[in-house]
Amino acid sequence: MSAVSVQAIVGAAPSPIEAPDVDYATISPLLIILGAAVLGVLVEAFVPRAYRFVTQIAVAVVGVVAAFVATVVVGAGLDTVDGEVTGRGGPTAMGSLSVDGPAVVTWAMLLFFGLLGVLLFAERRLDGGLSAFTSQASTPPGSADERHATRLRIEHSEVFPLAMFALGGMMFFASANDLLGMFVALEVLSLPLYLMCGLARRRRLLSQEAAMKYFLLGAFSSAFFLYGIAMVYGYAGSFGLAEISTAVSSQIGGQNLLLAGMALILVGLLFKVAAVPFHAWTPDVYQGAPTPVTAFMAAGTKAAAFVAMLRIFFVAFGGARWDWAPAVWAIAIITMLFGAIASIAQTDVKRMLAYSSIAHAGFLLVGMAGLTSGDGVTSVSAVLFYLVAYGAAAIGAFAVVTLVRDAGGETTHLGRWAGLGKESPVLAVAFTIFLLSFAGIPLTGGFISKWSVFAAAWDGGAWPLVVVGVVASALALFFYIRVVVLLFFAPPQGDGPTVAVPSPLTWSVVAITVAVTIVLGVLPGPLLDLVQQAGAFVR
Amino acid sequence: MTAFWLLAPIMVVAALGVVLSRKAVHSALCLAVVMISLAMMYAMQDAPFLFAVQIIVYTGAIMMLFLFVLMLVGVDKTDSLVETIKGQRLVAIVLGLLFGGVLVTVVAQAFVGPVVGLGEANADGNVHGLAKLLFNRYVFAFEATSALLITAVLGAMVLAHRERLEPRRTQRDLALERMQRYAEHGEHPGNLPTPGVYARHNAVDVPALLPDGSTSEISTSKTLRDRGVVRDGAFAGDVSVTMRRLEADGPERGRVEPPPSTPARHDGEEDL
Amino acid sequence: MTSMSSIVLAASEHADVVPVAADGVFSWMWLLVAIPAVSAAILLIGDGAGDHGPLDRFGHLLGTAAAIASFVVGVVGFVALLGQDVAERAVTQDLWTWMQVGGFDVTMSVYYDQLSALFVLLITGVGSLIHVYSIGYMAHDPRKRRFFGFLNLFIAAMLVLVLAGDYLVLFLGWEGVGLASYLLIGFWQEKRSAAVAAKKAFIVNRVGDLGLALGIMLMFAQFGTTNIHEVGLNVTNASQSVATALGLLLLLGACGKSAQVPLQSWLLDAMEGPTPVSALIHAATMVTAGVYLVVRSAAIYDLSEVARTAVVIVGCVTLLFGAWIGCAKDDIKKALAGSTMSQIGYMMLAAGLGPAGYAFAIFHLITHGFFKANMFLGAGSVMHGMNDDVDMRHYGALRKLMPLTFITFAMGYLAIIGFPGFSGFFSKDRIIESAFATNFWAGLAALLGAGVTAFYMTRVMILTFFGERRWREDVHPHESPKIMTVPLIVLAALSVVGGALTFSDWIEDWLTPVTGSEHHELGVPAWVITLIIVAVVAVGASLAYVLFARRDVPDTAPQQVSVFTRAGRADLYGDAVNEAVFMRPGQYLTRSLVYVDGTGIDGAVTGTAELVGDGARGLRRLQTGFVRTYAAEIFGGALVLVLALLAVNLA
Repeated sequence: MSAVSVQAIVGAAPSPIEAPDVDYATISPLLIILGAAVLGVLVEAFVPRAYRFVTQIAVAVVGVVAAFVATVVVGAGLDTVDGEVTGRGGPTAMGSLSVDGPAVVTWAMLLFFGLLGVLLFAERRLDGGLSAFTSQASTPPGSADERHATRLRIEHSEVFPLAMFALGGMMFFASANDLLGMFVALEVLSLPLYLMCGLARRRRLLSQEAAMKYFLLGAFSSAFFLYGIAMVYGYAGSFGLAEISTAVSSQIGGQNLLLAGMALILVGLLFKVAAVPFHAWTPDVYQGAPTPVTAFMAAGTKAAAFVAMLRIFFVAFGGARWDWAPAVWAIAIITMLFGAIASIAQTDVKRMLAYSSIAHAGFLLVGMAGLTSGDGVTSVSAVLFYLVAYGAAAIGAFAVVTLVRDAGGETTHLGRWAGLGKESPVLAVAFTIFLLSFAGIPLTGGFISKWSVFAAAWDGGAWPLVVVGVVASALALFFYIRVVVLLFFAPPQGDGPTVAVPSPLTWSVVAITVAVTIVLGVLPGPLLDLVQQAGAFVR
Repeated sequence: MTAFWLLAPIMVVAALGVVLSRKAVHSALCLAVVMISLAMMYAMQDAPFLFAVQIIVYTGAIMMLFLFVLMLVGVDKTDSLVETIKGQRLVAIVLGLLFGGVLVTVVAQAFVGPVVGLGEANADGNVHGLAKLLFNRYVFAFEATSALLITAVLGAMVLAHRERLEPRRTQRDLALERMQRYAEHGEHPGNLPTPGVYARHNAVDVPALLPDGSTSEISTSKTLRDRGVVRDGAFAGDVSVTMRRLEADGPERGRVEPPPSTPARHDGEEDL
Repeated sequence: MTSMSSIVLAASEHADVVPVAADGVFSWMWLLVAIPAVSAAILLIGDGAGDHGPLDRFGHLLGTAAAIASFVVGVVGFVALLGQDVAERAVTQDLWTWMQVGGFDVTMSVYYDQLSALFVLLITGVGSLIHVYSIGYMAHDPRKRRFFGFLNLFIAAMLVLVLAGDYLVLFLGWEGVGLASYLLIGFWQEKRSAAVAAKKAFIVNRVGDLGLALGIMLMFAQFGTTNIHEVGLNVTNASQSVATALGLLLLLGACGKSAQVPLQSWLLDAMEGPTPVSALIHAATMVTAGVYLVVRSAAIYDLSEVARTAVVIVGCVTLLFGAWIGCAKDDIKKALAGSTMSQIGYMMLAAGLGPAGYAFAIFHLITHGFFKANMFLGAGSVMHGMNDDVDMRHYGALRKLMPLTFITFAMGYLAIIGFPGFSGFFSKDRIIESAFATNFWAGLAALLGAGVTAFYMTRVMILTFFGERRWREDVHPHESPKIMTVPLIVLAALSVVGGALTFSDWIEDWLTPVTGSEHHELGVPAWVITLIIVAVVAVGASLAYVLFARRDVPDTAPQQVSVFTRAGRADLYGDAVNEAVFMRPGQYLTRSLVYVDGTGIDGAVTGTAELVGDGARGLRRLQTGFVRTYAAEIFGGALVLVLALLAVNLA
């Protein structure tokens, strides 16, 4: 230890540290959700078992709704910032968070997904009065202890606070204004998800395997993300997105450090959004995780990670656009084609939805290649719209998956879905609507969203992406229609699928998501207006 | 910089050791080397607080926890290192070398100048400067980390904690149950014989001897029996050896030496 | 195509139509779509599946009533349009704004003009007749209700297509009719051939749709609008190459939907659907949507000679191609399908001639809608009496036993070969004349086609209604019930008098505001051409008479036949080409991807489902086994990504 530092330790009379200046009202949605999560932990500790599950639901629902109201209030009060591009709001909490238009829209979107997710988590009528989560995660699968715990009707109500933590992490991720915050947010959102993936009641080995894979690969990819952050810090000397942006546009030298840093940060983010070649975990994890968790994860993670990706790459690395754009183009093309083609071969509904999720990541990347500002559809607004439409349809589709069951729990083999149209026409029609939306058929939200990302990309000069996108959509359409035909026209195997009668919770999720999917297809105007007005990112 | 060049190779070798060791304990010890070296690097860069924290928290607390867990799991447990996927090792090695090469090149090309701003950052002392960042600029990220910690604790509870599903059984219940088993299956209700009784050693892996000189299987722990590490505790061999010695030694009678070779596992049969 | 290059078209002629806002009767035109759509929704969602509720008993009546109601609205609208000034015959009504972003907005609107009006009458009129006919034809099918639901769905989608004022809305209808067609071809999906045919139709159509979709995007990119009218206005300011690109992309779309070469292969297989479907969708209406698209986009084609030439080539090739196939087929429906392809080739050819031919394309489209629907329904009636046997070699001498079917079929026959006085005579004559006037070779192809048409249609006629009985033993031919013959009679009458549309050039004048008009003078008087055509037709018909009426018809198709017949029987190897060029590589692609996915990535987990039962052993193998593969993949991806970004800097 050198002499300087010794002196520093014992040094005399340091100047006082000022209290941080945080505008609590502006970040209240985030605080409410994290508060609800902490409250949930306390509920877990102090409320008697008989009331615990219901209390947890109440805390989560009230928390999400309150946060949503707060988000609306915050959103309405954002000041308009005029610059090169119009934006709203700006950094707060000492510059850690940027509560701007896109952030607030994403918060609202995530809270909406969160509410739907909580409703699915709370469903207890499908599996003999028990939730979709295992009775005791610590008991070995198939053991006598497990059966005993199930007999005693014990449940893991910890999933609610965990979901709230994940939701809080997602909201933080979408609005973080420096790379350090982003990394913390990434971990806050991931860790609860890793856990929840392993808590399925049925097919626990598959579920635990999924959680393990997700955890290991997630940790692996965060390491890349962190390494990238370190390199970018080395280049720019700061974690703040604004400072990095300044360095990118003015600094000469050390370019390779920046490029490698960008690439590694991109790896971490592309892993989260499930883009090829960082997608391998998606089918396994989507299949193994409890279906309500899959629904929440598919919609929420993708939304948060995409908004974060846009924020980093548009705000911090906007000046180096032509360095990263070709790579994003290539990945978008590979991802779209891979997702569309690979989904053709799937025989499991959840894996099929996973591959569809991969293909949608590709389409969203097309949106990322679009215009950053201008008169038409900008990248940010197109991607935001897409995320709402995709998230709603994905949650709805997974909600339908929870309802088609046989003696061993959910039956996800496609063959077993044959003849669902006869067994439950309403459910089959709902699933068809989701599939058509995934396929981008007009009059569904999927069409408008595909159209908007393609329009943004076209305006941004990325026409090859649009062409490939159209081809991939056509390929995918074939597959989705095949499933629709299977649902309605194929003769059922054996007795055909059984549709469990759920409580109003799941029904309302299906109804809401169907309504959103249709409304976004027929009357997309209001939401398109909203995402347009959200404007650009403010740093 | 000299310290860096001294420490860096040690760290890299130790880090490779973490990954490549066959035994978990070795990995953990290598990790400790990495962490201590890291702490020294902090110190070198005028960050005494981080240095202390690194030593106390990581090397002190976390590494010890690791080692505890490893000891509980079993120190001598090694992972099967048979690679079943064809080409996986080769791919991993090639990718690793390439990736490392690329990153080393990139970092080496980066502009390296004199350290600036260190004095400014440490103007009021290292701890003070750190506090200023943590509780001011990065206060939100710092607070958000608590969410991470709560999640981790909650997760550990969910995955590992097994709740008591029924009232704790009292001594009385257990005794009743034992007698019940005796009545029904004839299971011995009393204690099992303790290991080492009348045997050469009273260690846990040496079975007790019965009055007829044979060993009692049930006196040793089942785990040890399954592992096959139970030793032979019979006197028979020792007595004969001792007798031979006594006869041979003559003048130095009374001195008992250990048998010429330590009895190996499973070789007790012929001695009996 | 030397003579075409000399034509400089006055493109602005029809672009100056200013649509007027709808009022009065025209504000109710949305009912055209709404009625069958609501009916389809009721029939398809309806009450629970499979029970015998009121909808199962009366559903077909509801469906038919919906089609007829739509027809009535169409007639009212048409009459009202007749009463309008010529300048005000393009009526538009905005229903709601579908999407609006920045300067771009798509309005759900009804665009009703002279062209749409004719189509509406054709679709709803022929559609209603076919609904009526289906009541008899599908009487014993347990899933009748669903059939009528699909038919209504088709009518609604087709009307969306022709009433669209915006290419995006048109695309919506385009996809809608594709879906309805897919569902109806595969209606008897328990037959494997039907399911496969449906899939094929769907996939081949996707290729065409891709063209249309790209075309629409190009419009949006170039003009910032997809409104048909505004695109027409803007395209005049755009460069030649843009117009050409648009024209070719739209042509690709048209080829898919109208079964034109090279996307023709699905139509013959589509005959697996119930016969009323073949009549309505695969003869009278949907397959002509491609022609509609070309005519509707007249403004674009007017500007690009290359695109027009391409349309002419596609039309000529297809009309000969279809005729050839028609000669070789023994399946009555496939012979008719080949004929349909060929006749649509005529329409395409006419549409490719520019303003000189648009009106004739539409004219032939309408008369073809009448006589081909008539003949398909007649074929259905024959099949109905012959226990659903479709092989013409098993027919013969049916004229006595099915007099009504015979007479009506004969009317259709005379119309299609262009017997003087019948509707086909006028419409085909006009096309051949204009073709000659524009380009000699195109005219020659059309003339040759007319002769071949006469040949194969005469063959169908003779094999079916004349000659010896060659029935199977358990077949007792009988006339169909009235509910099936009445539509036949109506359509036969229309096949006869349909030519009246061209008297005193009514249809040309009527369509001029939409398509423009232009007249090319022929080197010879028109009647000379007419005479030549009639002579060629007579030769074709006599040849067929000599070949088939004078000789015995073998019960099975002879195998020792010429290369031409063999090629025709094999649909001119269209499937073989598709298979070699598209399907195999595609399959290899999917298979290799699936292989990568299956072994490296996926095998683990498809395995997992089965291995769960095996317990911990399998699981452990998976856990320690495959995450590292994933990790290696991520690692490799990261390396490539880093190198890619660095490469950008180096470059």
